[in-house]
Amino acid sequence: MDAVYRRLGYKRGITKVDVHEREEIERHIDYAVAIVSLKGAGLRVSLKEVTPHLVVLGTDVEIESAKLARFLKGCKEALFIGSTAGSEVMDAIRKDTEGGDMTRGVVIDAVASEMTDAALDWITGFFNRLLARENARLTSGRFSAGYGDFLLENQKLMYDTLELDRIGVKINENFILIPEKSVTAVAGIYT
Amino acid sequence: MQLKDRIKEKIIILDGATGTELHKKGMPAGVCPEIWCLENPDIISGVHAGYRDAGADIVYTATFGANGIKLSQYGAYDVVEINRDLTLLARRAVGADVLLAGDICSTGRFVRPFGDLDFEEAIDAYKEQVKGLLEGGVDLFVIETMMDIQETRAALIAVKELSDKFAIVTMTYEENGRTLNGTDPVAALITLQSLGADAVGCNCSTGPEEMLGLIEAMKPWAKIPLVAKPNAGMPELIEGKTIFNMNADAFASFGAQFVSKGANLIGGCCGTTPEHIRKLKEALAGIKPVLPVRDSIGALSSARSYVILEGERPLSIVGERINPTGKKALQQELLEGRMSLVRTMAKEQENQGASLLDVNMGMPGIDEKETMLDAIGNLSVASELPLVIDSSNIEVIEAALRLYPGRVLINSISGETKKMARLLPVAAKYGAMFILLPLADGDIPETAEERKKIIKDVFGKAADLGFTKSDIVVDGLVMAASSNFKAPMETLKTIEWSSHVFGTNTIVGLSNVSFGMPERKWLNASFLAMAVSKGLTMAIANPGVEELINSKLAGDVLAGRDKDASRYISHFSQMPPKVKQEDAPSHKTSEDKVFQAILEGNREDIERLLSGAMDSGMGAQKIVDEIMIPSITEVGDLFDRREYFLPQLIASAETMKKGIAFLEPWLGDAKLNKKQKGLIIIATVKGDVHDIGKNIVALMLKNHGFEVVDLGKDVPAEVIVQEAVRLKSSVIGLSALMTTTMVIMKEVIDLAQRESLDCKFMVGGAVVTKAYAKSIGAHYAKDGVEAVRVVEKLIP
Repeated sequence: MDAVYRRLGYKRGITKVDVHEREEIERHIDYAVAIVSLKGAGLRVSLKEVTPHLVVLGTDVEIESAKLARFLKGCKEALFIGSTAGSEVMDAIRKDTEGGDMTRGVVIDAVASEMTDAALDWITGFFNRLLARENARLTSGRFSAGYGDFLLENQKLMYDTLELDRIGVKINENFILIPEKSVTAVAGIYT
Repeated sequence: MQLKDRIKEKIIILDGATGTELHKKGMPAGVCPEIWCLENPDIISGVHAGYRDAGADIVYTATFGANGIKLSQYGAYDVVEINRDLTLLARRAVGADVLLAGDICSTGRFVRPFGDLDFEEAIDAYKEQVKGLLEGGVDLFVIETMMDIQETRAALIAVKELSDKFAIVTMTYEENGRTLNGTDPVAALITLQSLGADAVGCNCSTGPEEMLGLIEAMKPWAKIPLVAKPNAGMPELIEGKTIFNMNADAFASFGAQFVSKGANLIGGCCGTTPEHIRKLKEALAGIKPVLPVRDSIGALSSARSYVILEGERPLSIVGERINPTGKKALQQELLEGRMSLVRTMAKEQENQGASLLDVNMGMPGIDEKETMLDAIGNLSVASELPLVIDSSNIEVIEAALRLYPGRVLINSISGETKKMARLLPVAAKYGAMFILLPLADGDIPETAEERKKIIKDVFGKAADLGFTKSDIVVDGLVMAASSNFKAPMETLKTIEWSSHVFGTNTIVGLSNVSFGMPERKWLNASFLAMAVSKGLTMAIANPGVEELINSKLAGDVLAGRDKDASRYISHFSQMPPKVKQEDAPSHKTSEDKVFQAILEGNREDIERLLSGAMDSGMGAQKIVDEIMIPSITEVGDLFDRREYFLPQLIASAETMKKGIAFLEPWLGDAKLNKKQKGLIIIATVKGDVHDIGKNIVALMLKNHGFEVVDLGKDVPAEVIVQEAVRLKSSVIGLSALMTTTMVIMKEVIDLAQRESLDCKFMVGGAVVTKAYAKSIGAHYAKDGVEAVRVVEKLIP
């Protein structure tokens, strides 16, 4: 709840929300939570080589990105993860923001974003528990295609590897995931 | 002596950690542990033998990740062979006197609905492993370190469908007392023991101290032994390595506490060694176990919660709304294969106080079974409330019971011979509770006496399959008062006898009583109160009906089922006063009220307030210019100062929009004056599908009187420029959310310049900065409020 408020610009001690406004917002949050249909995927991939500018997967696929290489330095494996809030919530946001109830639309949008991110957190938590049994652990952060020199084109590699079509996600020619509230990320595995 | 009997006599000692021991003995990180064990048989044999020598009664095979899905990450392997060989290896290591538990854990993939792994696919993967373990000769099974109750159920079903050997199930809980998926230990216990687990408990994640509370929470509801297998303390991350620091003496000192809290099988998980187990065994020598305190339980569960149906407790409402009968919108959604309404109905009923949700997916034109499974998948995530599966189709009920990640209440099983013969074994297999409907072959029994006979008959047959009275809920069989005025009293007699003589929970489908009558809510509410006085425990009803809920709350108080009337008082102390705000005396002028309505985002009252302002003699144009624009400007200032956040800004903007639309007929050609100043084209650029920010900017600009043409999202540069030329726009507003699409903004500006378009540009979006805007020759607006100010400067 706090994360949704923060995403919407709420600043503790400054933003003033009366009881009726809070009731309305929380009603929208409840609605959003009910229509979000979270799905996710995660897969461990082996790393053949990590050079200063290149990450080579076990499948010999090469990713050119100095920032990703720096992030994965010292890892022999990586974890690819993805999550989506589903298409029904996107339909609801679209309807609301294109002439319905825009207030509700922006709240649903924020809830869907937060929940999609939370799903990634959950997936990393899940793998961390399993990895602990192997005396291994994930990097504390994660990296997504589109940031720095880890080009958005790499989202296609993530998409294909994770088989995100199996959880209802599509990718367009611009490497954007559809539904819009869908994300992928990479974490390193320290052993 | 059988394990079940040994548990009654003594505490059973389980082994300690395998993984951390293997790492200590040289297993490298990143390898497949099962394959490594087969390649290094002496090492794993040494670990097994170490636990045998330490005094473990049960040793786990090294098959933790030996399911086909997990093994496939390392290559193509014969799953049955690996499990068989590792079991044989373990047997050679521990001999015949120690029991060997076939170890099963997570596949590492996510089961639907969150993941893509079909539930049956998961069961099949586990069955393959179970076959190998059986071929190797395990004495029992242990499903351990599970985080997802649904995957746990898949493993347990696989075990139970291939073997009748003892099955232990332990889940791993976080510091907040729930699994990573949010399952609470009592919910897990209710689900797993009803599904046939022989012992349930927890392992890993926490140290012994933290695990004591989990065992204590489960014990009152357990009809089976409990298991505790904690780590050697809480894990600590030291120099990048996970370390468990609790020594054997400290670990063993918790043994007696575990026994007193109710654990019957105790061992160690990560970080524990044969020494920990040896000390534990010594500490527990001669201590008698605390046996399960019950042999049956009336309780239902979902993936995250549970409802106990025992003792003096308030009436439970079973939300009835998830049923397409008579609901056109829901029917349409189900025909389209959508579940939004099902999920929102669940959440609403949960918020309105329902304890359980009745789910009925029977309607023409859809596949009831598939739709029910879809609904269950959605509801298992959308609501914490356990489900009541409502269908007349046996196949639908069976499929639902197999899939639902909790203990279900079946609605219903009657005395109809053929149906009962098929349904009772299904209910028994999945450990479901059921509503016993006192109907049999032939006519509807009109009297309570006839119903009692059917109830006894059906229960007799259910008892043969292991059901107890705790597992059933008798339906009072409510008939319409309009067709037989004596019918309600016969229902009440049935409820009273079932509650106080026969000794079961009872339920009614409440609204049947008022069928065919006017003002049905009064009959429903009165009948409910009468039934509560006879001992009714549950009612299928709409929790959104205020009269009904109030009657329930009052009935609970008067029947002594709401201790200290706390629920009643709490409910009514939270009710908002019924006096409408506008009824209170106010000294504000009509103009003040309009100003305030926009400031507060009062969309409901703005039209009425505008009418009032016009009635007081103020012209529409003046209202806009002197009240509405200043008010929305103040909203912008509040937003800038962060005293307002986005929902408040939008609510005010929508109020303004609604108000302008209302006044439009009176504004005439002049409308908002500023329209003549210029037209703005706005679009999200090609390749980008994110448009909520752009929509907000459009709304804000329109509210300030600008004419805005929104071209939508993913709009090619050519179209934007072409439309700008055609409409003679003064400003082009461009939005992009990503670094990859941000560059398209420059393409639009370059093209416009090549076309000699006399136009200004404003850009914005998550990744766009003021510096970037300047670099491409555009003006920057960080949000809708700033966009208005920028455009006001660009179109003076």
